[in-house]
Amino acid sequence: MDTFELKTAQADGRLAVLEVAGYINNEAGEAIAAEARRLIEGGHRILLLDLSATRIINSIGISLLLEVLEHLLEVEGNLAFCGLSPSIAKTFQIMGLAQYARILPDRAAALEALSAKP
Amino acid sequence: MNRPHRINLVLPQEPNAELVAAQAVDQVGLPLGFSRDTLSEVKLAVVEACLNAMEYGAGVVEVELIGRPGVPARLEVSVVDNGPGFAPGKVPEPHLVEKLQAGRKRGWGLALIRRLMDEVEIESRPGRTRVRMVRESGGN
Repeated sequence: MDTFELKTAQADGRLAVLEVAGYINNEAGEAIAAEARRLIEGGHRILLLDLSATRIINSIGISLLLEVLEHLLEVEGNLAFCGLSPSIAKTFQIMGLAQYARILPDRAAALEALSAKP
Repeated sequence: MNRPHRINLVLPQEPNAELVAAQAVDQVGLPLGFSRDTLSEVKLAVVEACLNAMEYGAGVVEVELIGRPGVPARLEVSVVDNGPGFAPGKVPEPHLVEKLQAGRKRGWGLALIRRLMDEVEIESRPGRTRVRMVRESGGN
C-alpha cells in the first residue's frame, strides 16, 4: 500500500495527468516535482495529480507539491488534484490549497472540468 | 475490552520509520471502533510528530499509543525525542500565500497536528521533547 509509484498517464496538449500511488514522502515528492518540471518545460500547463492510490502524504511531500504549484503559477498554468482520500482532502483544506489548485472528485470529473473551455 | 490497549515503539533513525507508528494507530484504534477515516487523520498527525522528532531530535524516537475504551473511546499518542527542544509558542503559523513566495515551503507539521487532533500538549526542554496527542471517537 505504501510503495511509491509515479506514472504519467496522459500528456496531450496543455494537460498532463500524473498517477501517484503510495506514501508521498520527501523522495516521492522530489520525483513528482521532477516529472512536473519536465512536463511544464515540455509545454504542459495543466497538471492533474490523481491521488486515488495514495493514502498518506507527509508535510515534506506537501512542501514539494507546493513547489510544483509555484512553478505552474509562474507560467500561468494550473494544478489540479483528484481522487483525494478524506484525510488528504482535509489536509489540503487546512492548508487552504483549494484557493490555488482545483480539487475534483475523480479522474472522469477532472478531465471533463479541465477540458472545458473557460 | 475495558482495559487500555497499549503499544510502545522505539523508532530508529531510518527512512520511513514513521510508518511503523502509523500502522500501530490502526492496531489500537480499529478495535475501539474508530472509523478508518478518523484513523487516517490520526496517522497523518503521528507521522508529522515522528518526522519532527527524527529530524530535530537526537537518536531514537519513542512512541507510545494507548487506546482507552469508552464513550467516546480515546486514542492517545505520545512521541518523545531527546533533542535540544524548542519553544512551541514561537513556531510560526504557516500561511499558504507566504509559503508559495518563500524559498522554504516546509513548516506545516505542527499546524496539521493541532488541526487533526482533539488535544495536543507539548512539553519541551533541552534533552527531552514530548508531544502528546489525543483523538476521541467522533471527535474533531
